[in-house]
Amino acid sequence: MTDTELVQEGIAPPAAARPGGVIGALAKQIGSRYAVVAVWIAMIAAYSAAEPGTFFTTGTFQAIFDSQQTLVFLAMALLCTITVGEFVDLSVPSVYGFAATVLPVLAVEHGWPVWAASVAAVLGATLVGAINGFLVVKVGVNTIVVTLGMSTFMLGISLWISNMNTISGLPAGFDKIAVTDVGGLQISFYYGLLLAAAFAYVLWCTPLGRHMRFVGANREVSRLSGVRVDRIRFGAFVAAGALAGLGAVVGDAYFGGFNASSTSSLLLPVFASVFLGTAVVEPGRFNPVGTFIGIYFLSTGILGLQLLGLQEWISNVFYGGVLVTAVTISTLLRKRVV
Amino acid sequence: MSNRRLEVSGLSKTFGPARVLRGVGLGVERGELHGLVGQNGCGKSTLVKILTGVYRPDPGGSITVDGRPLGLPVRPAAQREAGVSVVHQNLGLVDDRTVWENVRLGRYRAGRVTRRIDRAHERAEAARVLARLGHPLDVDAPVGRLSAQDRAVAAIARAVQDHQPGSGLVIFDESTRALGREARARFYELVKSLIAEGTSVLLISHQLEEVVEVTDRVTVLRDGEVVAAGVRTAEVDEAEITRLMLGRHLVTHGRVAGHVRDELVADVRGLAAGPVSGFDLAVRRGEIVGLTGLVGSGFAEAAEAIAGARPAASGTMRVLGRELDLTRRRGSTQDFVAAGVAFVPERRLEEGLAGEMSVAENLTLPRVRGRGSALRTGTAWQREESAAMIAKLDIRPPNPQAPISTLSGGNQQKVLLGKWLAGSPDLLVLHEPTQAVDVGARHDIIDAVRRAAQDGCGVLLASIDPSDLAVLCDRVLVVRDGRVAARLEGELEPDAISRAVFGDGDGGDGGDGDAPGAPDVSGAPGANKTSDTSEAGERSGETVER
Repeated sequence: MTDTELVQEGIAPPAAARPGGVIGALAKQIGSRYAVVAVWIAMIAAYSAAEPGTFFTTGTFQAIFDSQQTLVFLAMALLCTITVGEFVDLSVPSVYGFAATVLPVLAVEHGWPVWAASVAAVLGATLVGAINGFLVVKVGVNTIVVTLGMSTFMLGISLWISNMNTISGLPAGFDKIAVTDVGGLQISFYYGLLLAAAFAYVLWCTPLGRHMRFVGANREVSRLSGVRVDRIRFGAFVAAGALAGLGAVVGDAYFGGFNASSTSSLLLPVFASVFLGTAVVEPGRFNPVGTFIGIYFLSTGILGLQLLGLQEWISNVFYGGVLVTAVTISTLLRKRVV
Repeated sequence: MSNRRLEVSGLSKTFGPARVLRGVGLGVERGELHGLVGQNGCGKSTLVKILTGVYRPDPGGSITVDGRPLGLPVRPAAQREAGVSVVHQNLGLVDDRTVWENVRLGRYRAGRVTRRIDRAHERAEAARVLARLGHPLDVDAPVGRLSAQDRAVAAIARAVQDHQPGSGLVIFDESTRALGREARARFYELVKSLIAEGTSVLLISHQLEEVVEVTDRVTVLRDGEVVAAGVRTAEVDEAEITRLMLGRHLVTHGRVAGHVRDELVADVRGLAAGPVSGFDLAVRRGEIVGLTGLVGSGFAEAAEAIAGARPAASGTMRVLGRELDLTRRRGSTQDFVAAGVAFVPERRLEEGLAGEMSVAENLTLPRVRGRGSALRTGTAWQREESAAMIAKLDIRPPNPQAPISTLSGGNQQKVLLGKWLAGSPDLLVLHEPTQAVDVGARHDIIDAVRRAAQDGCGVLLASIDPSDLAVLCDRVLVVRDGRVAARLEGELEPDAISRAVFGDGDGGDGGDGDAPGAPDVSGAPGANKTSDTSEAGERSGETVER
């Protein structure tokens, strides 16, 4: 109890630099950021070796890059809400399915002009997003419950208005907005590319994106910093609905119609690619560029396996397997990085 | 050594870059009531979590109970076998379950085939323990309907039921927080009867007054180290323990001349928030006003309401003539930020900073919309601002891209302060700004707050730390039971502040402890203060003997 006991030893300064040179650290960074890209290239090489005649061809290349536009729209829609910390918006595929059904029903069965039907489909999807947002953000209902319920509800509505049929027969010329050859690929591929790029720009370069990421990281911190948290969360749901609706317009133009009963097959690919995206570019974080790469990674993997003669079941095995593996890896990466 | 009920030695714990416990030792005798105290973040709760097996300590330490080593990390079964039990914060009871269900939780005996809980047996066991404690309760009553005191009895019964009378160790981890003064007295009677039987008790509490009153010896932790091991409580007083908890030898802060100007920055009237009501406050440019009290007295809620972080029940506030609604629950403090109000909250990683985002992103967050355009955040101003704050507050590592979670607590706190100082606020509300930071960081933080005041910012400092208040404040308001019970000004001494907080008869001087309703309280003291400091430009001011 003397005064000497009060003397405190110097506090160790926080560990400043980690051991290992700058170059080593940089290599490690690139390694953890672009490992998926490396695996992708390795996968292409392996398939090309296994199926030299069929895999490494222009046709395969086009099949991979031309078929995923709708998935890009849906994945970006899901990213909207995930970025602001709403973890699982399960309704994205059903909202897409709803809009994709409304469009041909109005245009073909009710004789609406196709552009008006498209606008109605996008508005309808946006409205569903707004309802989700209202229930989750303003009322405070659990996100999973709201979106799971809304997902099932919208699927039912879509099946009803389409009489459970595939509705096709959209006017000629409408498909041009999705199927026009630009540099060897369909124009709709570039829609997806532009969307991902725009999303990435918003997220990384604008105040809105900064706010979105802070809301996702910590709502209370954002609120006390003057960020309008609820407005941003609500906006994310609305944007998710709108993107799903836009994706439906592109998808209908591309496929010429839609069968509502195929909706649920979209759920896993959307989640798989968004989660796989956390292993690319920004390890451990959801990001649009990583998601975009993830989509084409998955599409390459599945097409290759199908060319090897494996049946439909392989897509379930592959999507499911990659989803779990990717999330495991990015969880481990995050632990190491943060 | 082996005679002791609990012997902890050489225990360390490291989280990432932070070493939160360094070679901590602790000895509790048989039948002893031993207190463990320290500031928030000193490592108390980490120590308890090691004792109860939540954390695995760094290799090298040891824990023995009655001379028998307890394997590390501590396994719950081994802990129970050794007779170590814990009563958690707020007692850890499930309100809508009955007394017997709560007492026997984790020990239910089930039928061999049906796996049904043997109710008769459980009820009898619960009743037996309660009878042993001399406090029979209705074992079928839901715990939520019991009085505070009976709830405490149920929690203690659960903790001691496996002990042979006179053996074992019960750890009370801030258990009495929810108890009123009277219930607390009964609670300690019960604890003392355990002690009398020979059971040992480790009491962890913020209520220094109680610790001094009831314990035999006390161990003080500071910054993860034991600064006083097993001091006889009879030989120290509260002030001495406070000094041990906060004591520093290198802080050179003396009080400096105030810079209070006449212009009113914030004028709060009739504030009611949490337990506080009828609260008035006026803060002038350059003035640092302290707001303190016991945990639960309401001073913290008042500060949060003034910062816009929580809705007040009533009250008005003008900041530089601009009216701000205190009663609305807001989805964002945007209007407060725009009016020049900044808030440094108590829980820095829950309310202050986003751990996964970088230093620069956190620093610039409140201004990213105002200074950027809709399409660009703008990089130049962000780079400048972060560099300026990193230099000004000596943030380490000086890397604006480092994620917040990789910084030490003190540096995180500096970033949090810098985040608001960079916006040159008019009213800065600080809640425990030096909590759980090391000496150097505290020094820098105090310096920065003082400079902000010199530049004309009005500061409201809500803190339970008397030495911070003494060193920084021009005047201090002490809240007790929802009212301003004392106003201290002029030469502030930590001891006097502590006494006023604890409301002892001999304390509370300096303030007239009156008239919380008197509307214009702050005008006079403010004026007083200025005249008073002008003659004593650099008063001695060493406020804590170090």
